[in-house]
Amino acid sequence: MADPTLLDRHLVFVAGKGGAGKSTVTAALALLAARAGKRVLVCEVNAPQPRIAALLGAEGPVDAPGPRELLPGLHALNVLPAAAMHEYGLMVLRFRAVTHAVFENRLIRYFLRAIPSLAELVVLGKILHEARSRGPKGPRWDLVLVDAPATGHAIQLLRVPSALLDAVPAGPLRHDAEWMERLLVDPVQTAVALVTLPEETPVNEAIELDAQVRGVLGMSRAGLFVNAVPATRLAPAEVAALAGARDAPPPLGPAVRAATLASIRAEEARRHVGRLRAALDLPTTLLPLVPSVGWGPRQVEAVAGAIARAWQGGEEAAWTSCWGAG
Amino acid sequence: MDILLGGRMMLGPPDPRLAPGQARPPAPALAATSVRAQLAGRRIAVCVGPGGVGKTTTAAALALAGAVEGGRALVCTIDPARRLANALGLTALGNVEARIPAARLEAAGLQAKGELWAMMLDVKRTWDDLVSRNAPDPARRDRILGNRLYQQMSSALAGSQEYMAMEKLHELAMERDYDLIVLDTPPTAHALDFLDAPNRILDFLGNDAARAFLAPALGAGRFGLRLAQLSGAYAARMLARFTGQQALADLGEFLQSFQGMYDGFKTRAAAVRALLGRPEVGFVLVTAPNELAIAEVLAFQERLAAERMPVAGLVVNRLTPDLWTGDAPLPAPAELAAVLPGTALDRDRLPALLAAGLAEHQDLVRGERAALAPVLARVVGACAMVPRLETDVHDLAGLARLSAWL
Repeated sequence: MADPTLLDRHLVFVAGKGGAGKSTVTAALALLAARAGKRVLVCEVNAPQPRIAALLGAEGPVDAPGPRELLPGLHALNVLPAAAMHEYGLMVLRFRAVTHAVFENRLIRYFLRAIPSLAELVVLGKILHEARSRGPKGPRWDLVLVDAPATGHAIQLLRVPSALLDAVPAGPLRHDAEWMERLLVDPVQTAVALVTLPEETPVNEAIELDAQVRGVLGMSRAGLFVNAVPATRLAPAEVAALAGARDAPPPLGPAVRAATLASIRAEEARRHVGRLRAALDLPTTLLPLVPSVGWGPRQVEAVAGAIARAWQGGEEAAWTSCWGAG
Repeated sequence: MDILLGGRMMLGPPDPRLAPGQARPPAPALAATSVRAQLAGRRIAVCVGPGGVGKTTTAAALALAGAVEGGRALVCTIDPARRLANALGLTALGNVEARIPAARLEAAGLQAKGELWAMMLDVKRTWDDLVSRNAPDPARRDRILGNRLYQQMSSALAGSQEYMAMEKLHELAMERDYDLIVLDTPPTAHALDFLDAPNRILDFLGNDAARAFLAPALGAGRFGLRLAQLSGAYAARMLARFTGQQALADLGEFLQSFQGMYDGFKTRAAAVRALLGRPEVGFVLVTAPNELAIAEVLAFQERLAAERMPVAGLVVNRLTPDLWTGDAPLPAPAELAAVLPGTALDRDRLPALLAAGLAEHQDLVRGERAALAPVLARVVGACAMVPRLETDVHDLAGLARLSAWL
């Protein structure tokens, strides 16, 4: 059973290989948290085309400068380096006029763009700043969910504070790196959720990512989501009994081939889930394959439902209720 | 694997989910063409595309095909999955090419007329080599290699991997005599980051503005005071408040140590860029039929066209094979029940499951083809369609099977 405390954390980075379904899982988790009455902020990181709003069926401008409310209690923000840089400058330098004087200076703009990792630092800084920002009645957000960049870039992003602590002497930059690092490695507040697919390379990458999260980043992990796990319709014995009909003329041949392919995929998926369980000591949630290519609110709703069922009654229950009818 | 081969690649309009038995619009057949044929006569293939679409395996399969056909073929991978790395003999090697023994190819049932070579890019070592090559003397080289900002930059700086991939490609293209070099590229967050990464990093290393700020402070130890004497001192003072004065001074020293080497770097980057535009190069766009990968590959297509980069073609991996061609409606359970063989099977349950399974399969097929349409409409060069292989490609025999589709 998956860890029900994932949504009780304050800051969760959803990380994994590109195309594994990070955005979908992020959107589904946000939906569940908002329905549980939490004030949720979803952060996308420098997304060329922000996806969370579309996944949740919200219309309107995708690149609002501040958090935009998509659903009651659910905000989203695309954190862009240039905007984050300016905002960071404003915080450090305190006064708008001063910030402008600095940022409008052509040489300085050029220079800031060139400092290694400064873009990552301000992007991460903006996210962490949101996570600890407070309103009149306590924290502004109950949960900040980050749709993290693909594996390598996520590690690079999350490594910036500790890398700066190694490279930068005392000063404002170091001071910021210190509080950022403290927040990242605080297991009560912050965690990484891993998303992967039940396939060879994504599973290997998830295992490596997990090792890096623990070893390089020293961050807590909140759980593992295995996305697009194909359902088993026919028993292996039934597939075997039908083998002779694979080349039969339509309609039988194609139907048997579709069933055979589905069965092979399900078997492979089971094997890879087994590898994940053996390698990672993490609460694991299996999410059923939703047979569609386009992704929108309907699919996110299906994934959120599967997560909720898994958290309530274990994976098998989620499985049956998701596929029993179909 | 054989059951996969029957599928024809179809392109059809999107349709809402239809129940089994309902009519579906017919779909025109889409001809796949050979990317390998497009690469014939080119010396360098650069595989680009989003992460998770099989870029590394595609690169390795292209190199293997080159070796099988004759000639010396090299695949330079960035971050191969472990089993593929093992298959290519890349377990212990860093940054140098190694030949895959002919015996191993033979053991996999491959008769190669040429040689297959493979290497894995080591970003840090490529940086170190580049610095060593450009440093005017050993003292300067050691000063840079020992600088902590350099150490961080060479391993962790965003864009560093992309820059070094290009750098390595130039070295391999200029100093070795491979007949075919296939470069796998890092999965970029943004289309063709690797085209911009060298300039971004060079901007930093050769930043005259920064040097103008920082150089006077060196050796003076009174950084703030010196800055105040410069024009634009107000802004500079604010900048120091932003980063801390010591950090700026460190940075100044780092940039100072690169002084005089900048031109060498710059010339080199320009040469790499020029190399990529030559007709002996062929970019190979790699994608998979999912929404995210397709959106990204569209951006790649646009950028390559804008940069006038030579494109050899597109590879679409992991296509679901079309099992229901023609315009007949999908079968209802009763039709399947009528033709179901044998008596040991559950004749009540099975027909409905088979019908639902086929309908779901075909929904996936149609969805994929519809999602791919905008990419296919803009293809330059060849277009290879690779069906979803049921096991991951992680050995030489698997690569050979994959290459047959390319």
